[in-house]
Amino acid sequence: MKTSDLVQDYLRAVEREASALPAERRQELLADLAEHIEVTRAERPDTAVVVVLAELGDPRTIAATALAESAHGNAWVPARSHGDDAPSARPGRVHPLVPLLMLTLAVPFGMVFPDQPGPVFGFLFRVVGAVLLCTSVHWRAVQKTTGVLLTAVLPTVLIATWNLSSGVLQEDNAPALLPNLVITALIAAACTWLWRIRRA
Amino acid sequence: MEPGYSSKQARATAQLRKGVLEYCVLALMRDRPRYGVELLAALEDSGALATSQGTVYPLLSRLRRDDLVTTTWQESAVGPPRRYYALTDGGRAALEEFTLLWPGFRDAVDAFLNVPRPSPGDPA
Repeated sequence: MKTSDLVQDYLRAVEREASALPAERRQELLADLAEHIEVTRAERPDTAVVVVLAELGDPRTIAATALAESAHGNAWVPARSHGDDAPSARPGRVHPLVPLLMLTLAVPFGMVFPDQPGPVFGFLFRVVGAVLLCTSVHWRAVQKTTGVLLTAVLPTVLIATWNLSSGVLQEDNAPALLPNLVITALIAAACTWLWRIRRA
Repeated sequence: MEPGYSSKQARATAQLRKGVLEYCVLALMRDRPRYGVELLAALEDSGALATSQGTVYPLLSRLRRDDLVTTTWQESAVGPPRRYYALTDGGRAALEEFTLLWPGFRDAVDAFLNVPRPSPGDPA
């Protein structure tokens, strides 16, 4: 049997055994293994390819490990309890809806209760929501940064700009209604996005 | 010898390896980025952590997804370009955390295993 056939057969066996894996994960695994075989053969040209494949191991074992790792990192599949990172055991863990609702409701709260201390509470909602979002285990750092920018920083800047530019003319609240709704929609959209990408 | 003894031992080793392997892999990247074959060779040399090599790639894939490592392609003088794995700040933090945790864990296990057995001639 030709060397390339051996490698192809081996990779096909992994592919078959890993059929339960999401396609993207499976392709990544196959690419990693193919690269390993290529690099090993370049570095140890005298080693027979059957030996290289034997060292890599049983396709079924590799596929099983990949499935287990996939479950471990995947929010939607119940993960094996894996040492100290069983999610429910984490201290300070807050339900992901809490920061999202606080952030979304900050502006409407200020609209419903325009007199003090309504706006103060609205602002507190936003600050606490942003802090909870940042300390949450449900999002990665880059997602948190984007989330805080869209749901807290940008709205605060927009509102501050609006208040400064129209502050003198603010005899009633009617003109502020539309911008407030726009900002609320923006925050709600960002929170919906955060909710969708959260991890368990 | 009791039949299946060595397979029991292999299973026990596999269980032990499961918990620590990822931190050993992270530790291998502490000083510089490494490519897959290089990581596997280091694990192989260690003896106890040697494992069916192909099973390390799914682990590396998860470390990447969890943002503990990043990868970059680098050309090589021999053969195809290599995918190098490097620690992220998160990976470094996880490694440091484990490094602090490990001695206590190891000592606790040692303390259980090293209970001195009272020998007949021991003055009580």
